[in-house]
Amino acid sequence: MESQLLIQALVNGIMLGMVYVLVALGLTLVFSIMEVINFAHGEFYMLGGYTAYYLIAQLGLNYFLTIAAAVVVVGFLGWMIEKLLFRPFRKDLLGAFIVSLGLVWVLQSAAMLAFGSLEKSVPSPFRGVLKVLGIYFSLERLIVTVTAIVLVAALYLFIQFSREGRAMRAVAQDSDAAALQGINVARISSLAFAVGAGLAATAGVLIAPLFFVSPFIGDLPIVKAFIIIILGGMGSIPGALLGGLILGLAEGVGSIFLSIPAVNLLGFVIVMAVLLVRPRGLLGHA
Amino acid sequence: MLSVKGLRVHYGKVEALKEVSLEVGKGEIVALVGANGAGKTTSLRAISGLKTPTEGEIWFEGRRIDRLPPHAIVRVGIGHVPEGRRLFPHMTVLENLKAGAYLRANGDSVRKDLERAFEQFPVLKARNRQKAGTLSGGEQQMLTIARALMGRPRLLLLDEPSLGLAPLVVASIASIIKEINGEGVSIVLVEQNARMALRLASRAYVLETGRVALEGPSGALLADEHVKKVYLGG
Repeated sequence: MESQLLIQALVNGIMLGMVYVLVALGLTLVFSIMEVINFAHGEFYMLGGYTAYYLIAQLGLNYFLTIAAAVVVVGFLGWMIEKLLFRPFRKDLLGAFIVSLGLVWVLQSAAMLAFGSLEKSVPSPFRGVLKVLGIYFSLERLIVTVTAIVLVAALYLFIQFSREGRAMRAVAQDSDAAALQGINVARISSLAFAVGAGLAATAGVLIAPLFFVSPFIGDLPIVKAFIIIILGGMGSIPGALLGGLILGLAEGVGSIFLSIPAVNLLGFVIVMAVLLVRPRGLLGHA
Repeated sequence: MLSVKGLRVHYGKVEALKEVSLEVGKGEIVALVGANGAGKTTSLRAISGLKTPTEGEIWFEGRRIDRLPPHAIVRVGIGHVPEGRRLFPHMTVLENLKAGAYLRANGDSVRKDLERAFEQFPVLKARNRQKAGTLSGGEQQMLTIARALMGRPRLLLLDEPSLGLAPLVVASIASIIKEINGEGVSIVLVEQNARMALRLASRAYVLETGRVALEGPSGALLADEHVKKVYLGG
């Protein structure tokens, strides 16, 4: 019974960690390419949640098709938001900060007007448990975890080996030099925003059947995403993955022993401890 | 081939270029010499679109390019090797070269050019999986030039290619510049090392505080008393 509890806490932790990583990746990607931080990034997650509510709960659409739809719709929104709002504030941290705070309020209020302020629930598409070596696993949580891992791996392969992924890295390392190779820096910034928004929306779809959907659900994952990228190192994708796993496991295990407010503090305590030793985060470089 | 007319460029309120006009013919090496802050780098940045001029026109092969963004200027056939090398330090040598070929769709011809680059710069072949940031200064300079050539430019802007390099490396950079030019690429060479620049170039412009102070065939400038005194150390 004791080991059952511990293993479930670990599985839960890894799942939550991977979902946070999906949110964090977009944040860190956009930061490394545009040197701006989008505080409204959590709202892409929230919109993913509503996509799940309308397509799965209302229309009965397939779970994975819903993910694809959320990526397309919210990704396109991200692309447009970069083009219309953030482009003039490239490399202007403060200007972009103010724009993104405004965007948080606009998107949350728009969601309240459009979807109402009541919490909505999305039925679980995968009921049942899996019994492995005498330990029970929730099928749904396994699917969420595996889907998130697959997406993180896909993003890594895209950044590492595709032409546009290489262009993203080039812009992150030296945007002027990238432009001199013929890379359209503005288009790459839009692409980074779209990819990041799509990933955050996917996280929102994945988690919607486990939690409720409301206009303000983006607030928590954005905080977790910040903890993760500061922990792992700003701009580093492996860093985000590592940070997400550490935070997820710490919260998962911590939830056995600690109250919920204490668990939420845990991430901040870890960040402070890591920054004291490694000011650039675990895998960050200058 | 390249024609710059009455170029003015401002950084904020500071006027970096007051009035620069220059011409580069097909197959030529043209040098821009001058002191620090004379406007050499700014001229190149304006040509490649990194800095938008306040006034003046830039024409390349009959097309006006002074309002085009940098990535579009690469597409018309101008390559720029910026000052300070500006590699992608966390990418491998091979990835840096591939970035130079970003706009080219034909994989076969890119592969051929990669082989050619490795022939021309054997040191890059030996280190092709190494991160660019770990190369020596001379190797980084070769990689920056090789990367620009991967875009198949017809005009190459070279900004201070000899800066901070040992004399032996400077000599090999000079012979590489000649070699590239021999293959039909026109070159604008910006150099503090005026002697090297004037030896390589057929013509040169001397910039002083944002203006063209002198221009002419390199031989004539090498013999000019003012140039000798100010730029060639007496």
